[in-house]
Amino acid sequence: MNRNFYKTLFLSSIVMLLSACQGSNSEEKITTTITTSGSDKEYLITVTRPNTTLHLVDLQTNKVIRQCDLPAGPGPGTLVMSPDNSIVYILTNHFSDIYGVNIDNCDVVFSTQQSTGNIRVKSIASIAISPDGKEIYTHQNRVKIMNDHYEMLPPQIAAFNTSAGLNVEASRTFDAPRQVTIMDALESGELIIGGQDIFLMDIHSGKYDVILPSLNDKQPGYSGKDVLSVWQMGKINNEFYRMYSRAKFNGKDGDLANAEYLFGHETVNLETGKAEAKDFGPVETVLFTSIRRPGQLNRVYATLNDLKEYDSTTQKLIRSIDLPYTYYCINFSHNGSKIYLSGALDSIAVYDPDTFEKLAHIKLTGDGSMSTSIIFKRQG
Amino acid sequence: MKHLKAINNKAHQVDDAVKTGELDEVMAMQTPVGCTATTDPGWEVDMFGSVAGLCQPMEADLYGCSDPCWWPAQVPDMMNTYPDWSKNADSASKDWRNLDSVYPDDKE
Repeated sequence: MNRNFYKTLFLSSIVMLLSACQGSNSEEKITTTITTSGSDKEYLITVTRPNTTLHLVDLQTNKVIRQCDLPAGPGPGTLVMSPDNSIVYILTNHFSDIYGVNIDNCDVVFSTQQSTGNIRVKSIASIAISPDGKEIYTHQNRVKIMNDHYEMLPPQIAAFNTSAGLNVEASRTFDAPRQVTIMDALESGELIIGGQDIFLMDIHSGKYDVILPSLNDKQPGYSGKDVLSVWQMGKINNEFYRMYSRAKFNGKDGDLANAEYLFGHETVNLETGKAEAKDFGPVETVLFTSIRRPGQLNRVYATLNDLKEYDSTTQKLIRSIDLPYTYYCINFSHNGSKIYLSGALDSIAVYDPDTFEKLAHIKLTGDGSMSTSIIFKRQG
Repeated sequence: MKHLKAINNKAHQVDDAVKTGELDEVMAMQTPVGCTATTDPGWEVDMFGSVAGLCQPMEADLYGCSDPCWWPAQVPDMMNTYPDWSKNADSASKDWRNLDSVYPDDKE
């Protein structure tokens, strides 16, 4: 999405430059190009209680323009969008079921109940969509419920055909690592799995390997990375993104008493597959989500009870304000000009990333709990 | 078993398992406790031993803990055991009075 925006911006600039050279004859061409760019409206989508209520927000007016009520219990409200941004897939109903909803008319076009018989399945915010939109992937934590005890089953990745309609069963499954939360897919199709480390899986053979060590990172002078990540916030930059904290030892390795603690981010570029980890600032308070600013990727913004800006180049805190109340989830407009905070209670707050001035407050209903927000562009 | 009468849940399960031929599935002292192995601190202190890192207000974090069974000792587990705990409280900050304590269901 972001790449398309910059592609459009770049093309617009070229057309404007050419028109300046050619004189007034090219005015029509400029207008057409700019109009096309401007007609892509920006939206935010998220869910709240009661049950699972989908909110579609027009970010030009900051108004909720559509609500869809699904007959499913809450939690976690993790979302992925189809490539054409017409269908949102929601992991919900106590981390078990997925619903695909047409955002233009609220029609449910896809559903799956992952638990069957006495096999209970939970996906901890683990949902991804293939680049062509034909498959949904989940990570399944499975337990067999016996008369009075549970039997743990091996976890697995499941693939579902999105065109199969309602009450769909997995078309195939693969063995997978344990303790997985967020996932995404490379543009080339491989599945990124965020667990104790970050893994890349060939979704046809099921073979997977570590592409970025995390908890098992053995970098001398540092602890392994500690990750709390149930919000996929990298989509706006076309990357898999999750935040970590780790100890930097100032004495011997393992000497926590003299260590300093750092926040950092792990990223996987969805176009190239390049995986990187980078510290971005000191741990001074608890933060739940962070995001890189589109167009200025060294500027990292993070939230929970505060809104903070870090420069990952210098690893310094640039700016910080207290928030009126807790937000779990931080997101950015495509051009990097607005910050959107959501999750936790029942509102979306809009902030200026340069001044931290509050620009708008969008009231929702119910309670956002740990739901994700997605910002996307589409015509009309 | 005709001289014994089941009076607790475990004994009822043994009775049921005998009837359905699934006695091997009933095990003594095999009670699942909670549903998570997290050892995060409770509501009282954050990772620094203070309170600034706790969610503000507490209600902002209530369903973020009960939905994923984050701290089962402090909040009912909505993921598995008490999925309807919040059905009369769509907004934790406004409807918290409708959130009650929970108790295990006793079987007849």
